[in-house]
Amino acid sequence: MQEFLQHTLNGLSFGSIYALVALGYTMVYGILGMINFAHSEIYMMGAFSCYYIARFLKIDTPDPLHFSIGVLAAALCAGAIGFLVEKFAYKPLRNSPKMNILITAIGVSILFQFGGQIIFGADPKSFPSLIEDKNLFDIFESPFHLTDLLIYLVSFISLAGLSFIIYKTQTGRAMRAVSTRPDMTPLMGINNNKIISATFMIGSALAGIAAVLVSIKYPKIDPMMGVKIGTSSFVAAVFGGIGSLHGAVLGGFLLGLGEYYLVGYGASTYKDALSFIILILILLYKPTGLFGSTRKEKI
Amino acid sequence: MKKYLIFLVSVTLLGIALNFFFNSYIQAVFISFLINSILALSLNFITGLADQFSLGHAGLMAVGAYTSAVLNKEFFGDSWMMIPVGVLAGAFVAAFAGYLVSLPSFKLKGDYLAIVTFGMAEIVRVVLLNWNHVGGPRGYNGIVKFPDFLQSYGFAIILLTFTFLTMYRLKFSWFGRNLWAVNEDDIAAEVMGLEIAKTKRRAFVISSFFAGLGGGFYSHHLGYISPGSFAFIISVQILITAVLGGLGSLSGSILAAFILTFLPEALRSLRTSTIDVRMIVFPIILILMMILRPQGLMGRKEFSEIWAEFKSKSSLRKKQKAAL
Repeated sequence: MQEFLQHTLNGLSFGSIYALVALGYTMVYGILGMINFAHSEIYMMGAFSCYYIARFLKIDTPDPLHFSIGVLAAALCAGAIGFLVEKFAYKPLRNSPKMNILITAIGVSILFQFGGQIIFGADPKSFPSLIEDKNLFDIFESPFHLTDLLIYLVSFISLAGLSFIIYKTQTGRAMRAVSTRPDMTPLMGINNNKIISATFMIGSALAGIAAVLVSIKYPKIDPMMGVKIGTSSFVAAVFGGIGSLHGAVLGGFLLGLGEYYLVGYGASTYKDALSFIILILILLYKPTGLFGSTRKEKI
Repeated sequence: MKKYLIFLVSVTLLGIALNFFFNSYIQAVFISFLINSILALSLNFITGLADQFSLGHAGLMAVGAYTSAVLNKEFFGDSWMMIPVGVLAGAFVAAFAGYLVSLPSFKLKGDYLAIVTFGMAEIVRVVLLNWNHVGGPRGYNGIVKFPDFLQSYGFAIILLTFTFLTMYRLKFSWFGRNLWAVNEDDIAAEVMGLEIAKTKRRAFVISSFFAGLGGGFYSHHLGYISPGSFAFIISVQILITAVLGGLGSLSGSILAAFILTFLPEALRSLRTSTIDVRMIVFPIILILMMILRPQGLMGRKEFSEIWAEFKSKSSLRKKQKAAL
């Protein structure tokens, strides 16, 4: 029981990270119909920008204020990087075939990975402990850490903020409109390019937040850190039905739990393959995912 | 017939020249150029002709390479005479793997093949890492090689010619036209009575077969393979080669493989301590090309078509001059 609860807690905390990153994939897919392979590298850049800002401002000691500055800084930097990537790599290709955009996305991803290895160095860096980890209380003898609580709390706040933006504001309404009928929205006075930029920025900011949360729990960062989490989150997005926000969150939690149960009860070396096996099973039996719907194509 | 004779003579002469006038380093680079051409052709068949994006050709390569290596080591007793059999077996196993991959991939329209092939390559890598009999992460050592350069060269040329001719004939057959139809407009193709999923599936199985062929020969060229030799970056390199040559142009793939195999060797001095600058230059080439010249070097055209166009243009010009 104690072991099971421990795995559940770990799985849920990693699941909320997956959910945050998966939202970025699913939002971009919903609005542009492309898989943003560079998203995992934006996640990585979020962690590194927080690392350098914390060192630059000398706020690398445990303090709640430092933690909140770090999270905000990472969100802003990741958002800015997402904006720039969209502006310089994807926007010139808005009207070209989908294949070209996908190839560009892979190019951007590789460029960030290896450019990061040259600029930051390939060896892992130890992330500053922005908050002191302590054991808050025990549930059935399994410890409940402060970092886990923070991960739940911050991801919950971000998800609430996201759903406020998407469902309550004018920008969010425009985003939903662009994702359904991009050909009609300019007639309604919506600037598609601005809305697409905003989508990229919001998705990237969520990835930046997720990166800081992970780095506080596992304080080692390196330029390839995004690959594993990026692919798992992408699978989570497909699992929930790509293009659907609720699906991405639910898929993230389910995948996080699944991975930790698998690691906890043997077969830990196959952890990296699990997400892809799930992916193939989904595509075989329910290709639209949990919440996805097939859009009828009109000619 | 004359064409084939010229080809045969020139290839033989090239092999003899490489054997006697160049050192073993250039020879090895030349063989890897031939292997890269096979792999780029294989990817070009599915990505260029059928417009389906594959990110897992390294995984298919790994299947072919390990099958061929294990067969030769465990069953054929390390005799180089049996290398072609092993390579062919590796290609068939890779084709079967490709068939399995294609089952879930074409249920929906969209880029699902990219994701599934990516996942397949990752699963293959993880399984190889955990499989102690073939060395796990340490890699598989002491694979039988051809005893000298000429045999290796001859076999590689045979494989490349086989790959190129098969694909060239397929490209201009009814099957190639089906693929073009799917590429251009799959709804229209479906209305014309084409089974889209089946067509794509066949194309992917053919593509996997040749990826396995290239991978199988790769293992016998190097004599050592490890799961790291088939990482994601290898798939990306194959993709860059196919894109640079022009998606849909088979001779373009060979040209691009030539450039991208010899250019990095020339740039080897740029290597920094831990990583090489190639990995920065390649993605920049890729991004710039997608923005500035998305059709690649040759577009969809073959070398012979460009040559014929050039000839007809120049003869037209001559006629105009004569008229003046």
